[in-house]
Amino acid sequence: MTAIPWTVFLPELFLLAAALLIFLLDSVGVRWLELFGGLATGGIVLALFAVLADLRFAPLAAFATAPASVVDAPWSQLGGSLVAVTSFGLVFQAIFLTSALLVALSSLSRPTKEKGAAIFFGLLLFATLGMTLAALSADLIFLLLSIEITGISTYLLVGYTRRDPRGLEAAMKFYIIGALSAALSFFGASLLYVAYGTTSLYALGTTMIYLGHPPLAGATSIALLGYGFLVVGIGFKVTAVPFQAWAVDVYDGAPSDVSAFLAGGSKKVGLFGYFLVFLVPILFANRLAVAPPACAPAICVTLHPSFAVPLQVIFGVMAVVTMTVGNVLALQQSEMKRMLAYSSISQAGYMLIGLAVATSPALAGALLQIFAHVFMKAGAFLVVGAVAGLGIGSKIEDWKGVGLRYPFLGVSFAAMLLSLAGVPLTVGFVSKFVLFSAAVQAQGWFVWLAVAGLLNSALSVFYYARVLRVMYMERPDPVTAPIRSGAVLGGSEPPMLALGGIGYGRAVAIGIAVVAIFAFGVYPQIVLSTFQNAANHLLQAL
Amino acid sequence: MLPILSLTLATLFVGTVVTFLAGPRAKYVAAAVSAVFLVEIAAMFWMFTWPAFGVGPAHFAESESYAWIHVDWLHVNYTVGIDGISLVLILLTGILQAVTVAYSWNETKQPGAWFGLVLLTCLGCFGVFVALDVLLFFVFWEVVLVPMFFLIGYWGGPRRRYAALKFFIYTHVASVTMLVALLVTAFYSHSPTLDFASLQGSAATLAVPTQVILFLSLFFGFGVKFPIVPFHTWLPDAHVEAPTGGSVLLAGLLLKLGGYGLIRWGLEILPTGLSHAAPVLYAVAFASIIWGAGVSLAQRDLKRLVAYSSINHMGIVLLAIALDTSLGLLAAVLLMFAHGIVSALLFMVSGSVHHTFGSRDLATVNGITPTAPTLSTMTMAGALASLGLPALISFPAEFTALLATWDKLGYWVVIPLFTLVVTAAFYIWMMQRLLFGTPKGIPADAHDLPYAEALAMGALVVLTVVYGILPNLLVHWITLSPVAGLP
Repeated sequence: MTAIPWTVFLPELFLLAAALLIFLLDSVGVRWLELFGGLATGGIVLALFAVLADLRFAPLAAFATAPASVVDAPWSQLGGSLVAVTSFGLVFQAIFLTSALLVALSSLSRPTKEKGAAIFFGLLLFATLGMTLAALSADLIFLLLSIEITGISTYLLVGYTRRDPRGLEAAMKFYIIGALSAALSFFGASLLYVAYGTTSLYALGTTMIYLGHPPLAGATSIALLGYGFLVVGIGFKVTAVPFQAWAVDVYDGAPSDVSAFLAGGSKKVGLFGYFLVFLVPILFANRLAVAPPACAPAICVTLHPSFAVPLQVIFGVMAVVTMTVGNVLALQQSEMKRMLAYSSISQAGYMLIGLAVATSPALAGALLQIFAHVFMKAGAFLVVGAVAGLGIGSKIEDWKGVGLRYPFLGVSFAAMLLSLAGVPLTVGFVSKFVLFSAAVQAQGWFVWLAVAGLLNSALSVFYYARVLRVMYMERPDPVTAPIRSGAVLGGSEPPMLALGGIGYGRAVAIGIAVVAIFAFGVYPQIVLSTFQNAANHLLQAL
Repeated sequence: MLPILSLTLATLFVGTVVTFLAGPRAKYVAAAVSAVFLVEIAAMFWMFTWPAFGVGPAHFAESESYAWIHVDWLHVNYTVGIDGISLVLILLTGILQAVTVAYSWNETKQPGAWFGLVLLTCLGCFGVFVALDVLLFFVFWEVVLVPMFFLIGYWGGPRRRYAALKFFIYTHVASVTMLVALLVTAFYSHSPTLDFASLQGSAATLAVPTQVILFLSLFFGFGVKFPIVPFHTWLPDAHVEAPTGGSVLLAGLLLKLGGYGLIRWGLEILPTGLSHAAPVLYAVAFASIIWGAGVSLAQRDLKRLVAYSSINHMGIVLLAIALDTSLGLLAAVLLMFAHGIVSALLFMVSGSVHHTFGSRDLATVNGITPTAPTLSTMTMAGALASLGLPALISFPAEFTALLATWDKLGYWVVIPLFTLVVTAAFYIWMMQRLLFGTPKGIPADAHDLPYAEALAMGALVVLTVVYGILPNLLVHWITLSPVAGLP
């Protein structure tokens, strides 16, 4: 067992330091939004650099703080360690930090007279801290506690303005569901502890398979019950159907920046939890099905034929149901944010394909899909926030002519929608291509997951194209459409880069998202090879 | 060796971007890009003639390949190359881009976006014709969709939004099916890369029933673009609502993508699949031929008439491909080229009739010759070419198709032959009413064609005659590709 040095927590320490500094300044009476935003952004950027260095990205590799011997060490040698550094987790950390960065940048453009800037940025940092910690976990309790740090911070973020009754309602709903899901998860964890006497993720997954006879009489059913509770408890975080109902109200009621963070970042922590908890049993079962262990039959009354395949089937069915329900409901929405929320649910369905297939190509595809989702979905919520800030209503119908009057926002939103719909040259296309190719490559019934995914992405084109149509092909009603600075109505073409008064921070965040959508859409090699290595190493380490 | 294909792609891409940003001056940029494109196409022909400058791996001349996405299980390359078939269709792309730009010279509604989208459509088509990798091919295939959606949806007629959405969804569902089929072909046959050549090499190892199922999926995917009955309903809607330039590109180029795709990615990769599935293709082809011809007889709207006759013509293309003989493929490519030129001409005619006389309804507008002699001449040239008059471009193509059908299917040739008579009937009827009837429904301020439109149509008429008299200018190139080589 290799000792894990404290330096692997450097990203977390940056986040914590920035958060504490913000609260300290706030307590001595500083009310300076740009300062808080700058501190938050700085902390996140430093943390992101540290993570990229640990991932051994060429220009930053010299600054790596996690020793190479620790990264991707086999989990069988972890002993009782609560944390493990994996490239897979580091990739997740980078994704979490990127979404936090976009939200922090964009929030620099919040109205300065708005109260609670310190609370907002502080909570954002704490939520991100929870997410990055979760990505380090090797222990079920550590994982669930980290997810709870994120959970509690985000409940507060949703309702932090305290003036908007819809935000408060959303926060309340979010809190109740979140508390329920946490209770279910912890209950599941305690059942597993009763069954096996351990909460180490590796030991749980492998014990289940190897011993077959768990230490306690009747432990098998207790263990299955425990895993069942975890499927449900974490499922709420993932917004997998049938645990998705809360998400739409919360994404709709929360301030758009927070919705961006919830969809682009904090939901992924649930996915990470799913991967971490369920990959070990699935992989071991599949490996043992190929090469049964050499041990006496009495000990080898294994669960594997009856356990792993059902798990994969459960996640496969969940993936298909989630993407289909999300898409069908998104079709019927007339509110922009609710449409995006349902589309976000359907995207979670695509990501679950990675877990159902559970091969390293599929994991890499899922990672790419999660990565892409940050730019397209978080970016889309940021644009929605910007458009709302211009005084345009929240219904899709209210967006008539937005594309022509605000070229920057229009082009950005069009790029994000096209990427969500999976149109080529966008990162959303590449991620779906890789993910579905991986499902086809695994052969067998997984091909049908690819077919379901592709049919769903064809279906999703309906509602994305509808928004494009409203934005570009319909004239605004003259009465309801207010005109702000930079907007030209009915005249010649407005200049492409007219920001229309949305603020530079927000414009930069949206710009980053758009550039990323196209850059990684045209040349995904760098990220994909990193993700593929991470997936390969994870499978080797487990 | 000059990387002419990548160079052309780059020119078109840069040209498209500049056109988008050029605003009111976009038409000059678009014209310059079209001219450069034509020069580059000439260079391709030249390099194709002199093997010293070309012939790369396999049978594709001008082949270029660079690694694009390489991870351990997925090898995607940027691979482009052309053979005789793609060369002829690229020529068609260049011609139609130039005449579309010329025809819409006086466009005033958002000219930057209009010309940019026209160029983007042609860029996508060119990409489809040169791509030799599954992903690259699919990218260009989908790139074509987006600009056409906007061309119809923003510049189109009263029901444009419905038509644009219908077009987008039909063709998108089809392309998804096609992609799955290609991926299954690649991964189930353990093809080392997603290149055309490696798919072609490995696909034969698949079991025969798998090949048949895959081929039929590909046939559905490409067939919707053709369009084949019963998935053709998007086409009349899209054409009726599309602006003239959009219709020209839609009929002239986009329909050809289906035919090209079926030859390149269907027939050449899964020949066994085609030989087993041929009866299905014959049935669909005959249905499209009869349906297209029959329904066009009942049309009063000039544009709808041309749209349905396109279904008829593309049905003959499908029949020629399904024959799976080199003569059939030669006929298919010739027909596609001919239909590209002639349907473009006829859609321009219906567009000009519409904005000169305010209607395309053959019952309301009659006897336009005294008012608009140039337009009438163009109409007549287009109609005569479309009904297959000798010495015009469709004649050699249709004749070859009938000959190939006779060779393979014997008396079944009666079906396409009979519909040719029907086609002739409805075009003659159309000319009688529109051109030579008693003048009716002519507004007082009606005038003959503007120069830009006359130039565009005139160029197409000249091409119709030149290639009609000298079809060997095309046949020579087509037969250089192995599948269409004469025995």
